[in-house]
Order: sequence, then C-alpha cells, then structure tokens
Amino acid sequence: MKIRAIGNLAILAATVALSYGMQVSKPHYAELTAPIPIDGAMHDTVRARSFDVRLDKVVFARTLKTEQFGQERLLTTSGLWAVATTNLAATGTSTTVADGTWQGPTGLRYHQTERLSYRQDMPPHAVDPGLDRSGLFVFEVPPDQIRGASVLIAARQFAPLDAQARISLDALPIGADGQPADVLPEYDMDAAVPSVQGKS
Amino acid sequence: MFKTARSRFQTWVTAGAGTIAALLVAGLMGAFGALPAHAPPQLPPDAAIDAGRWWVQPARAYVSRAKVYGVALKPGQKALVLETDLTNRTAQSDKAYFNVFKPDGIDLPDPMPMIALARDQTLTPELHPGMTERMAYVWPLAGDAIVPATLSFGITAEIFKPRDNLYGTPGWFNPYRLGTVTMPVADLPESGS
Repeated sequence: MKIRAIGNLAILAATVALSYGMQVSKPHYAELTAPIPIDGAMHDTVRARSFDVRLDKVVFARTLKTEQFGQERLLTTSGLWAVATTNLAATGTSTTVADGTWQGPTGLRYHQTERLSYRQDMPPHAVDPGLDRSGLFVFEVPPDQIRGASVLIAARQFAPLDAQARISLDALPIGADGQPADVLPEYDMDAAVPSVQGKS
Repeated sequence: MFKTARSRFQTWVTAGAGTIAALLVAGLMGAFGALPAHAPPQLPPDAAIDAGRWWVQPARAYVSRAKVYGVALKPGQKALVLETDLTNRTAQSDKAYFNVFKPDGIDLPDPMPMIALARDQTLTPELHPGMTERMAYVWPLAGDAIVPATLSFGITAEIFKPRDNLYGTPGWFNPYRLGTVTMPVADLPESGS
C-alpha cells in the first residue's frame, strides 16, 4: 500500500516535470512562423524557394550621389553606405525580390534604405527564371556593425515560412581597426550601372 | 498581560478586515475614479528622453509660412515645426514615430504631422538602430491660428512586451502619456527658415 502511494507520487512528479519542460521549451509563435533561413557565403549562389541570389560585392561609401527628377542629390549618413551588388534569377516562375536587411554581428537589423527614390536597379527586383540580372541593395549602417555581419534577402518583408537567403560577409576585407578596408568618399549610383551590368 | 495583548491583536485584526473590505467595495464601485488624475510630468527640454522605442531630444520649435524641409503648404496655411533628434532604441529599423509628439492646446486641422528627415528632406524614412537623426515634425495650421510663445508637446511612449497576449510575439504595446516638454516657439517671417 505504501509502496503504491510512493509510486503514484513519483509518477505525478515525473508528469509535472515533463509538462513543465515541454512548456518552457515550446517554440514561440514568432519562431514557428519565422522565415526559413538558407545560409550561404559571398560569391556563392544561394538557392531560396522562389529565387537564386549571389552576392558579388559590397562597396562602402560616405556619401551616395544619385539623380532624382533631373537634379543631382548627395545623400549623407551618420554611418556608412553599404551598396551590395547581387546577381538574381527566379527558380520556377517570374517573381520579385523586394526585401534586404543588413544584420550586424549582434543581431541588430538594418533594413534597406528608403531614402533613394525608385530606380531600376533597386528593390523590388523583377526576376525571371533562367535570366540572370543584377540588383542593388543599399543599406545605411554604423561602422561597428560591419565585421561579422550578414545580408538577409527575401522575396517580401513579411513572409512567414518563406525562404530567406542569409549571406555571411566574412569574406569582406576588414582593416585592423574593424572598419572596412576601403571606404569611398562618394559613390555615384549612376556611373556604377555599366560596370555592374557587365559582370565583374 | 498576555491576555490583553491577545485581545488587542484580535481588535486590530477585526478592524483591519473591516477597513480592507470597505476599501475593496469602494474600489469595485469606482469611488477612486473620482480622484484627480496625476498630471503627466514635465520633462527636461535639454536632455535625451527615453520614450519607449525612441530616445528623443527636441531641438527647436517654430512657426513657418514657407515650404519647410520639402513639405509644401497650401496657400494661406502656416506650419508648426518641431525639430528633434530621434534615436531608435530597438534592434531593427522602424518608423513608428508618428504619435511620439503632439502639441497641446492647439487646434490642428489634421492631427497627423508630416515628418521629414532634416538631412535630405526624405518623408518618413525608417530610422535604423542606434543611428541618431534630426527629424522635423510639420503640422499644417490655419493661417490665422494663434500659436502661443511657449508650447507644450505631449510625448507618448510604449512599453515592450517580450510576448504579447494574442500571438506570444515580441512587440511594443500600450501607448501612454510619458510627459510633456515645453518649448519656446519662434515665429519665422515670410521669407522662411
């Protein structure tokens, strides 16, 4: 009789412990519906669900020169401009690739800039299967968020359970002080177009 | 001696239970709603203010009759402009700064301000984590509106919940009035800033 009671108590305690463990280890809704990361490195083709992307180069600059409504604009920033050149293609059907995020080494997320007006080589990129095209993603980042960063590229900004290419930037040349090896004083968005189109 | 102590203790317990019951009943019936509400505190205008997802530091306020930071005004209108430094305290780029400032005691035709980046007049860009930017809040006013020489701006903040009650996702909720900042308002002449 006594042994039975102790056994029952042990089963009860084990059930409570198991239930508590399941409760604390249950993934949150945000994690269950998060985008599915697909890891890759620079210069590799990363195959997401609806598109392929290859990050070719990242250029850092202090100002961006662009033309808007026939007028020249110089865009300044308190950090650095990072212009990422990618090669994009669709996998199965024509689609768009619209979302780029710079993720710093500690997980801070810098969404692509909204300060440039609509341009052909800026997101959303219309991509087709079998037709590679180049596309730019432009970010505004503080200099201390460059070493160990990665670039996240997805088809849409809010895309639960869709693929998200996560390209680590470990191959970037970084100086001894943690800053990028060379920073242009000015990056001309319009002069850059021909060299981007002919693949470097 | 112990007897008197015990009876005194019993008296205390009885009286306390009655008081607590009375407070509970009064609270349930809403008696405390009649108390005067606490006024939101005055915040220092010359220090960065922690307002939920933003650090805010107002710089200057003025009335403009010309186009300001690329925001065009209708004929006969003028605009109340508040320039402030905003820093994103969160871990991701965000543009939820529309309701942070609200001028008190002024009749606004449209309570939603136009917000421009002072750096290059971009309207309502996302602000990135830790990158302080000077932003200009522009509220259009009727041309004959009277703006006092000092104006108080209410600051609204939100609280962070690591898990909200509906989906269990992290986010910023429950906006509340953090306090007010009182600023002198310059009146710029027709030529603009």
